[in-house]
Amino acid sequence: MSSAQFEIQLIASLVAIACAIPGTFLVLRKMAMISDAISHSILPGIVVGFFITQDLNSPLLILLAAITGVITVVLVEYIQKTGLVKEDTAIGLVFPVLFSVGVIMIAKNANDVHLDVDAVLLGELAFAPFDRLLISEVDVGPKSLWVIGIILMITITLLIAFFKELKLSTFDKGLAASLGFSPAIIHYGLMSVSSITTVGAFDAVGAILVVALMIAPSASAYLLTKNLKKMLFLSIVFGVFSAISGYWFANWLDASIAGSITTLLGLLFLAIYLFAPNKGIIAVLYREKQQRTEVSLLTFLLHLKNHDEVSERHVNHLNEHINWQKVRAKTVLDLAIKNNMIVIDNNIVSLTSKGNTFTSQAIDYIITNEDAQIEDMKDDFFLFRG
Amino acid sequence: MNIQEYFYLVFSDYTLRTITLGTAILGAVTGMLGSFAVLRKQSLLGDAISHAALPGIAISFLITGAKDSNTLLLGALVSGLIGTFWIRGIITKTHLKSDTALGLILSLFFGFGMLLLTFIQKQPNANQAGLDKYLFGQAATLIESDVWMMAIVTGLCLFVLLLFWKEFKILLFDKDYAKTLGFNTKTIDVLITSFIVLAIVLGLQTVGVVLMSAMLLAPAAAARQWTNSLAKMVFLAALFGACSGVFGTAISASQNNLSTGPVIVIVAAVFVFISFVFSPSRGLLFKQIRFIKNRRDLELHKTLAFMYGIAETHENISHPHEIKILNNFQGFTKGTLKKLVEKKYVIIKGTTWSLTNEGFKSASNLYNQLTQQDE
Repeated sequence: MSSAQFEIQLIASLVAIACAIPGTFLVLRKMAMISDAISHSILPGIVVGFFITQDLNSPLLILLAAITGVITVVLVEYIQKTGLVKEDTAIGLVFPVLFSVGVIMIAKNANDVHLDVDAVLLGELAFAPFDRLLISEVDVGPKSLWVIGIILMITITLLIAFFKELKLSTFDKGLAASLGFSPAIIHYGLMSVSSITTVGAFDAVGAILVVALMIAPSASAYLLTKNLKKMLFLSIVFGVFSAISGYWFANWLDASIAGSITTLLGLLFLAIYLFAPNKGIIAVLYREKQQRTEVSLLTFLLHLKNHDEVSERHVNHLNEHINWQKVRAKTVLDLAIKNNMIVIDNNIVSLTSKGNTFTSQAIDYIITNEDAQIEDMKDDFFLFRG
Repeated sequence: MNIQEYFYLVFSDYTLRTITLGTAILGAVTGMLGSFAVLRKQSLLGDAISHAALPGIAISFLITGAKDSNTLLLGALVSGLIGTFWIRGIITKTHLKSDTALGLILSLFFGFGMLLLTFIQKQPNANQAGLDKYLFGQAATLIESDVWMMAIVTGLCLFVLLLFWKEFKILLFDKDYAKTLGFNTKTIDVLITSFIVLAIVLGLQTVGVVLMSAMLLAPAAAARQWTNSLAKMVFLAALFGACSGVFGTAISASQNNLSTGPVIVIVAAVFVFISFVFSPSRGLLFKQIRFIKNRRDLELHKTLAFMYGIAETHENISHPHEIKILNNFQGFTKGTLKKLVEKKYVIIKGTTWSLTNEGFKSASNLYNQLTQQDE
């Protein structure tokens, strides 16, 4: 591994960490699309900054672009406040316009500016190590490493300093406001950090893929945990993991590094989306099926309790009467027997005393509109779940 | 280039005619379907879908090895639809919210598309150049068959829209009611979403992935300000979309170095801005004017009520009072006094005022009248 390769991986990992921290809060605050809007609308800021400084890594350019990002947020909120359109429409209107302005500015000055839209939107991590920062003729490392390093330091400092304020205002805005933490300051602080991170990272991974690094690791982490600290930690781990493995994947394919980092993030999210223990799609579908069987079981037990006549409790009659398919009826019957709720004698089904208590309690809960209690009751009564 | 010359060119020059027609049709169809996206609060879906279409383009190029725009758009359609349904899956099956789902699919699909594009560029197949036109769109690459394609799809959209008009409408405004009436809401939902995806995919070649969402939203958001009727809104949105297409093309053709896509978007944004400000019923300008007018009316009423309060304490209601005593009162201005005189509620003599019979009557009925009007 050459030193350039090491530097690329280091930059990618730092970008991943710097994105994951604000990204987590954006996802929790349901503002993920704002990051997309910011990543597009910083373009005019970058262009103007570039006209002035002629350097993609200068602090002035980053500042200008970050201000454009904050302006985007303000504009979106203003349009939303007029009540003429919904919030998502406001976002969708603002950023393409600002982006168009940027594209036109580049196009009109294409001849004397070494900047093109592809570079801003897509970035190229592979070239990052060649743009060195020289302090009095001494090579201290790639410029983008310094830029993203400083941004990361600021982000982490702010995160540690304002962790409880951020946490509180994210989960309970009203309480935060009544305790005296200004929601506006925290909101715009977060927006500024997101803007600055986006600007600092676009050079390396491109503006659009910054969005992936912000949202995907946090969304994946959100499917695995409900604890904010764990979520932050997990999203940083996911981000760094995909940054490093994405680099080697790109190396092997000889394709865009940013693209392959995103692809790995996508695969990671897909895996978690499918297999996450509680929130994953397979777990959810399994739970839905379980619930359906258990509701059927309850209906069936209620039916039994209502009818003492032998004719109503015959196995075949149940098939016809409740109108269940054979397989379903058998599943329900098996489950009931396994849980000692019923006994079948000569094809006549009757409730056991356990089944009887279960059903009476269930009826009580249903009548008093406390259906949720039935879930807890299931834990007490069921030996086997549906 | 003056306007006459331009008109002449539009009809004589093949490229300009094709592009103008193409962008006009595109604007119309995106405006039409965009109305539904905006009203269904799926504004950002367009953004997500247009990005999600990118890997489809790359994959269909990898499979066929040809740059035929129809097969590429078919690939885009398929991957756009996959993206849409995955978004829906995330929203319905997990606790992730719609913004997260949109942002996820948008960025992940786009990143994957970029990976494939750079991978294609490294391939020995020399045919690959020009795929990146789908990123930012190049209206100049439109040819007549593309325009025909757009026209056919627009016709199809219009046909389906008219055929299922009432179903779409009821789904839009009251989904539960539609369900109870026995409409298959899922099918209608899928149908309209598929058409939105189709319109977006059609526009990729012209305005590109990044700006497509604005084409979908802007005409609809502008049209929404002028009317409360769905039919009128769809029509207006189509009109605004077509106009932005035509004007955008004209402006970008008249200047060097101006790509068509961004100019169209800016023209559409101008339409939105004008609608936001100048729409008679919802616009900001008229809202402000109404606000000021209401405040003036209120002040007038306040002054009148105050005068009534004074006049009540005297036996003769027309007993003159000094104007000065009104000064303590906030509602009083010279303008309101003048207006009261014009309405013949008040008579002014020198520095005194006195209430007329008419004024006394209307002042005593002030609050009754207001409540009657409210009802």
